[in-house]
Amino acid sequence: MKIARALQLVWTALAYLLLLAPILVLILASFDEAKFFRFPPQTLSLHWYEAAAASGEYRSALSASAIIALCAGTISILVGSLAAYALARFTFPGKRLVEAVLLAPLVLPLIVWAIALLQIYAALGMSGTLAGLVLAHAVITVPYTVRIMVSTFERIDPNLEAAAASLGAPPLAVARRITIPLAMPGLATSAAFSLLISFNDVIVSSLIAGARWITFPVRLFAQLRSEGVDPITLAIGATIIAVILLAAIVGEYALKWSRHL
Amino acid sequence: MNGPSSKAVLFLLPAVALSTVVFLLPFGWLVYASFKVQGQGSLLMADGLSVANYMRLVTDSYFAAALWRTVWLSAVSTLLCLVIGLPVARLIATGSGRAKGLLLALMLVPLVCGALLPSLGMIHLLGSLGVVNGTLKMLGLIGGSIKLLGTTGGVILGMVQAFLPLMVLPLVNTLSRLPRDVEAAAASLGASPIRVWRRVILPLAMPGIVAGAVLVFCAGFTAFVTPQVLGQGKIATFGTVAYQQAALVLDWPFASTLAVVVLVAIGLTLILSAQFDRLTKRRRALA
Repeated sequence: MKIARALQLVWTALAYLLLLAPILVLILASFDEAKFFRFPPQTLSLHWYEAAAASGEYRSALSASAIIALCAGTISILVGSLAAYALARFTFPGKRLVEAVLLAPLVLPLIVWAIALLQIYAALGMSGTLAGLVLAHAVITVPYTVRIMVSTFERIDPNLEAAAASLGAPPLAVARRITIPLAMPGLATSAAFSLLISFNDVIVSSLIAGARWITFPVRLFAQLRSEGVDPITLAIGATIIAVILLAAIVGEYALKWSRHL
Repeated sequence: MNGPSSKAVLFLLPAVALSTVVFLLPFGWLVYASFKVQGQGSLLMADGLSVANYMRLVTDSYFAAALWRTVWLSAVSTLLCLVIGLPVARLIATGSGRAKGLLLALMLVPLVCGALLPSLGMIHLLGSLGVVNGTLKMLGLIGGSIKLLGTTGGVILGMVQAFLPLMVLPLVNTLSRLPRDVEAAAASLGASPIRVWRRVILPLAMPGIVAGAVLVFCAGFTAFVTPQVLGQGKIATFGTVAYQQAALVLDWPFASTLAVVVLVAIGLTLILSAQFDRLTKRRRALA
């Protein structure tokens, strides 16, 4: 039994090594001063981080990513929470179908959809436009918001809303003073997921991107397909991962803290 | 008009409209476009419907080979994820407190990093001057470098790394619902650890195994970032071929045909797995 347990521990450690190795290597390589990473690295420095901060080309790619993610995230939160509220509070015929339609982007392969969208956008003259990219990103982030917000609203007691309304609060005031504050943790989680999904997307963006709105993942993918690795992207990639993990940790603590209120 | 119902319609309308128009309708277009052919020397489609694209898929050995390669690459990745993931999932499921939370959180890391950044790391892990080759050289195990990038092995490694969480998370979910002492109970009755796994844990974990296998297989079948980047363009899978046809060759009707085939393959996988699930449930009900 002891040997079996030890084997299981070693196996798990190796599995996690495989799982996390690429990310650890990415971080290590970003500190290598050489133009071509070689293991073991000769000198470690922040050279590529400085170069990344100075590069206008990557700054524009990152700001394109950020603008698209913010717009898509906003749409996703507005549209998705409204729908989630209806799904959580009302019963109506065809509810299951509506749910399936809203969650479809989680199930159906995005590359298939992107090949279709590319053609439709081309026909409508929308390929490579900000609106086209934002709409596409909003669609793939909506299911995350719907899922998170349905369970958030289900945990909010409808009697609180009813009580406020019976005391004469108009519907908008009920939403503003009762529902939205209580739903804040869910809204924050949905926003984080929407931004993440949009910011990470390569599949859809690289098929419908034009020349003007090139996001960071699209730029990186194009580079990996043709020229090889520019070390600046390692520094940016490592920074992105650090930001994502930091946001996850902060979010986790904020959520715990909010439950103690 | 009654109150709640009209309110529900109003609330649902924007999201449903967005999902239907921007997401679902394009799938219909795809089926239509897959039966068209591109006009000579233009991006426009020629008149009339034909099955030429489907014939091309069957007769052109490049695409048939890519399809076959994708099926077995996905199958091998699924199997490896299962073999690697089962003991890990069991450890997480039987664990408790902080260690369990930490292991689960670390399992999510590749999922939140997207497809591209781990691939970027993989290049530096597997490259001829990368960490694996560098370590082996330092240990004096190899003289030259082993070629890992641009090989099938490299692509499989990348897919296993990227999709392992898709296997482990459903497994943890199923295994967590097993009573914690089944192992001890079976062992106390004289069963060897292997026998406990084969007769007790595996059958009870079957729903999780099927769910994880479907997720990994479908992810592998539609993957294109990982095979493209780690295969260095030398390992043609269905995802990379479809992407090339759509984004580089600009033969959209043919890309649509490839996309339809991906949809059909995934539909078949889901139907087969549902059948399998029903079969195992019936067998367990009989036993």
